[in-house]
Amino acid sequence: MNPEFRRNVWLELTPRRLMTMTAVLVLAFFAAAVSGNEWLPLSAATTLFYFIVVFWGARNAALSVVGEIRERTWDFQRLSALGAGEMTWGKLFGATIFNWYGGAICLVVILGYRIAHDGAIAGLISLVYFVVIGLIAQSVALLSSLIAAMRRQRHTQLEVFSYQVLGIVAAFLAYSVWKIADPAGAIGVRLKAAADTIPWWGQDLNARAFLLTSLAVFAGWTLVGCYRAMRLELKMLNGPFVWLSFLIFMGIYVAGFDAWLPKSDAISVRDAVALRLALAGTTFAIITYIMVLLEPKDRVLYRWMGAELAQGHLGRIAWAMQGWMMSCKAAFIIGIALIVWLVHEDAAPAAAFVGAALGFLLRDVGIFVLLQALPGPRRGDFAAVVTLFALYVLAPAIANGFGASQSLVIFYPQLTTPVWTSPAVAWAEALIIVVLTVSRIAGSVRRPSAAAAV
Amino acid sequence: MIEVRDLVYEYPNKRALDGVSLTVAPQSITALVGPNGAGKTTLLRCLAALEPPYAGSVTIDGLDTRESPRQIHERLGYLPDFYGLYDELSVRRVLTYAAWSHGLAPALAGAAVEKAASRVGLADRLDSKAGELSRGLRQRLAIGQAIVHEPKVVLLDEPAAGLDPQARRDLSSLLLQLRDAGMTLVVSSHILAELEDYCSTMIIVDDGRVVGGKPIKVRDDERPRYMLELATARSDLRQFLVAAGIDVIETGDHHALFTFTRNPSARAKLIRDLVKAGFDVSSFAETTRALEETYFAQVKAS
Repeated sequence: MNPEFRRNVWLELTPRRLMTMTAVLVLAFFAAAVSGNEWLPLSAATTLFYFIVVFWGARNAALSVVGEIRERTWDFQRLSALGAGEMTWGKLFGATIFNWYGGAICLVVILGYRIAHDGAIAGLISLVYFVVIGLIAQSVALLSSLIAAMRRQRHTQLEVFSYQVLGIVAAFLAYSVWKIADPAGAIGVRLKAAADTIPWWGQDLNARAFLLTSLAVFAGWTLVGCYRAMRLELKMLNGPFVWLSFLIFMGIYVAGFDAWLPKSDAISVRDAVALRLALAGTTFAIITYIMVLLEPKDRVLYRWMGAELAQGHLGRIAWAMQGWMMSCKAAFIIGIALIVWLVHEDAAPAAAFVGAALGFLLRDVGIFVLLQALPGPRRGDFAAVVTLFALYVLAPAIANGFGASQSLVIFYPQLTTPVWTSPAVAWAEALIIVVLTVSRIAGSVRRPSAAAAV
Repeated sequence: MIEVRDLVYEYPNKRALDGVSLTVAPQSITALVGPNGAGKTTLLRCLAALEPPYAGSVTIDGLDTRESPRQIHERLGYLPDFYGLYDELSVRRVLTYAAWSHGLAPALAGAAVEKAASRVGLADRLDSKAGELSRGLRQRLAIGQAIVHEPKVVLLDEPAAGLDPQARRDLSSLLLQLRDAGMTLVVSSHILAELEDYCSTMIIVDDGRVVGGKPIKVRDDERPRYMLELATARSDLRQFLVAAGIDVIETGDHHALFTFTRNPSARAKLIRDLVKAGFDVSSFAETTRALEETYFAQVKAS
């Protein structure tokens, strides 16, 4: 048996805890059953499942790494011979085994009701849904804590709570998406009414099957994310291929929703190809922003990459590239393809708009890296978010207030006359930030004094 | 067993190791010494494949830390300076988990746990919870965790910190036992006295570099260092010893430090010859301050 899973079982599944969990749940269901409301036990089981597996399970998943760091046992685990896969599933299912034990009792009640009232298929769908939503919550919490471990954060109670909240938010999103196809009506993300079909890549697909498959696939990607983050923590190289596969999947998946977009002439996007390219490019840009915020802006790594680049070791750089770098590249590739397409379609203003968007993307990414490389207390990410808020919201609002709408071109992409104004300004800003960032990173290391040399 | 070539390690604002090169022979105990902040712990973490080199290479048992970190971890035992234990688990379970997680087959783990517990003096406490152990016993358990899988290389960062004199003595004999069992040990400390009893080689790290450029042999079990003291000053002491074919390290009118065979008959003959030559010998003993003297001599020279 996986040693990490076994250790967690030793700690989590003590006879006393098992008896307590069983007794509490049986009493809760008994109380619901004698209330006279036929559906109350189902509601109680569903609520208790969310509490035990999603809410509490997300916390335990987050603590499975953070707890080790706090207790100073993480280095010992990193020095074990366990593979990243073993460590990931040993932690994900080991640290939450007690929650899944309670969740399994709740599932017995839920499935019993579903099968009895809606049939075996409905029962099976419910089983998949509840397992997937639990997995999403726990794996997102674990992934958040692993990313925080890579960022060498302090892991206060508040931070652990934030990883737990991220897991819960992910589960809530999954729940909301699922409710789109729920005949009982949408909750959260409301879409007119419960949908029977979903248009995707020009096909009308069965909503339940499509959404359930989507949730399962995203849960799978989250697990892959945990595995890859664990590999990095165990000092194994990840290489670019899995992240590229994820980007390709995301590009294709999101580009299929072009039929959902409101038709608009605002930027002269007139056909499905342009819409799909725009969707894929925007997805890559959003992933770039998320990853540059989350990943450690490691100056040592960037210096090393610069040195390797100077020596022409492109293969070694490719293996060490961070997620935001590859996402940014993908956004640029799709963006350039879109520009070419729009120019071909005689939509020069839209092409200029996309060119400006790429320049601002580069500027913004540069701001994240530059602010992290500045001396002083490490608040770079927060400072970068505040800077972007000022650039995209506050400054434009002030400029508009003074009637200087012409100046908006320096903050974000605009349709301008002449068309090259917006991309020219964006790329000038990007160039300045990139030069500042590179010079800051290259010159920020203090070497040992010559006196110690031998 | 350990090969380090031109190792550079950088923190965001500081180069912590700058061109470190060293070799550690198999089945030896090497002291890693230097002032606080010199880079000892960083070097140990690089050796343990916990930190990737910025430049240069580290190989352990022929495996590169950048290419094969997990295979190295399988062959390695590491005691960090600040370590944690699973307080809720029994000593037996802590050691069993360590054995399993280092790839030991379950069928072999039981015997390995018993052996490790016996080595670190915890055989009678296998069923106690780790959280109930005293500080000294926790230190032993942490060492037990590091050696339960019989690693080829053991890295210990300040292993004697917080131990009482008896526990330090026990630690010395344990480390010598491990070396004799075929393990290669690197022990970091800034307290030289505690390394004196078991280290044969010393690496001095200061400001991210190896002082003297290479490891220094501080102990030779075949030819240890001896201190000779005279009650009456003699300026020809050095001349006499050199003429007798002895490797003299340092002399004064009242004393001499030199290496000499451990053979009792040879030592008895040397004393007889000295007395016969009129030297007023007041003391002749194997010196126990070799490490400290060598350390300061090297630091002064650099």
